[in-house]
Amino acid sequence: MTGPHGVGIGWRPEIAGFVADLPGLRFVEVVAEGVAAAGPLPAGLAALRERGVTVVPHGVRLSLGGAEPVDPARVAHLGAVAQRVGAPLVSEHIAFVRAGGVEAGHLLPVPRSREAVDVVCANVARAQAALPVPIALEPIAALFDWPDDELDEADFLTEILDRTGAFLLLDVANVYANARNRGADPVALLDRLPLERVSYVHVAGGAEHGGYYHDTHADPVPPAVLDLLRELCARHRPPALLLERDGHYPPAPALRAELDALAAASGFPVVT
Amino acid sequence: MSGDLAERQAALVAALVAGGPVPAGFDPAALAAAGAALLRKRAGEVARHWPLLAAGLGPQWSATFAAWAAGRPTGGSLRDGWDLARDLRDRGTLPPLGAEELAGREASHRYDGHTPPRPRRLPALGRTGGAVAVQVAGRVRLLRPARH
Repeated sequence: MTGPHGVGIGWRPEIAGFVADLPGLRFVEVVAEGVAAAGPLPAGLAALRERGVTVVPHGVRLSLGGAEPVDPARVAHLGAVAQRVGAPLVSEHIAFVRAGGVEAGHLLPVPRSREAVDVVCANVARAQAALPVPIALEPIAALFDWPDDELDEADFLTEILDRTGAFLLLDVANVYANARNRGADPVALLDRLPLERVSYVHVAGGAEHGGYYHDTHADPVPPAVLDLLRELCARHRPPALLLERDGHYPPAPALRAELDALAAASGFPVVT
Repeated sequence: MSGDLAERQAALVAALVAGGPVPAGFDPAALAAAGAALLRKRAGEVARHWPLLAAGLGPQWSATFAAWAAGRPTGGSLRDGWDLARDLRDRGTLPPLGAEELAGREASHRYDGHTPPRPRRLPALGRTGGAVAVQVAGRVRLLRPARH
């Protein structure tokens, strides 16, 4: 079982045909909640598996940062999808998505407090105990912070990774968005993260609305995010990079150009 | 600042999606931006489940959805779109494409507005805004288009 390697793309039903036609592709990610635990796999995904493409299930609704214990049924589903696609690992976010019985509809940040570190680590441990493969944790993009942060982002993340033994799914677009919206230097964070623990990297586009940069996954990847990717690769090239696109899908040539830009920034072979 | 993380997370979610007050210490402008971003993302997801409703509203889709959804936590994209379509129908502003889509959904599923829709086991008609859809054995066909 090989881990993700090289340049990949987030598999979505809307671009299944485009993804199927990428000759050099060896790695995709699939939203775990979008795949049934039983029954046939979506056709495009099954064909990629037959080609030997690595498929990594990416959870978005476990709510590992939620104060309530993670739902065993959601963990079981993530594990079942991992087994169905023969995944070498799964990934999820350091975030919560529901509280008090209300769904937020998106990933929300937890406070960077010792209490929240304990909560996240306990939920990750519960998930790890039930998952058939390792988990990589992704720090999110957030437009706001909690007023009671005790740790900075690097210490917060490093503490969680050290205590759980999880891998890091680093999203350079999230790093860029968080730094830009706070007037901070994104490269400074790279210098303080355990880059040897990165299993793969997300790259995505965004846009500015109302004075904030939003990590939309529905706009082009800005040059500044590619610059940050180059800075990352100069420090420690991750094993794999994944382009995330979740809407306003551009014509195929534009999407191919973004994949080629990832390959050029990292030195990985082109997949198009 | 300490206390029960569960309660504080619930208060934050309520502020973002249920019209709750901004919890102490948070930046109101940043939370407002996050709440608006949540609505945009939700509008996109509902549009994928209700493509004709969204297409029927065209450039008004985002604003119409946001006005309806602000302060209303999601019940999932299927129910969000269903509730919105019924609301527009009751106000007489459901576009014909949306009426046809709603008629089809009403024919195929039983939805009480409170619990998840369930497939109808018997043949049924759905009628909205002049549109008539029929469902037999789970297959839905539009018998009559909506009034334009």
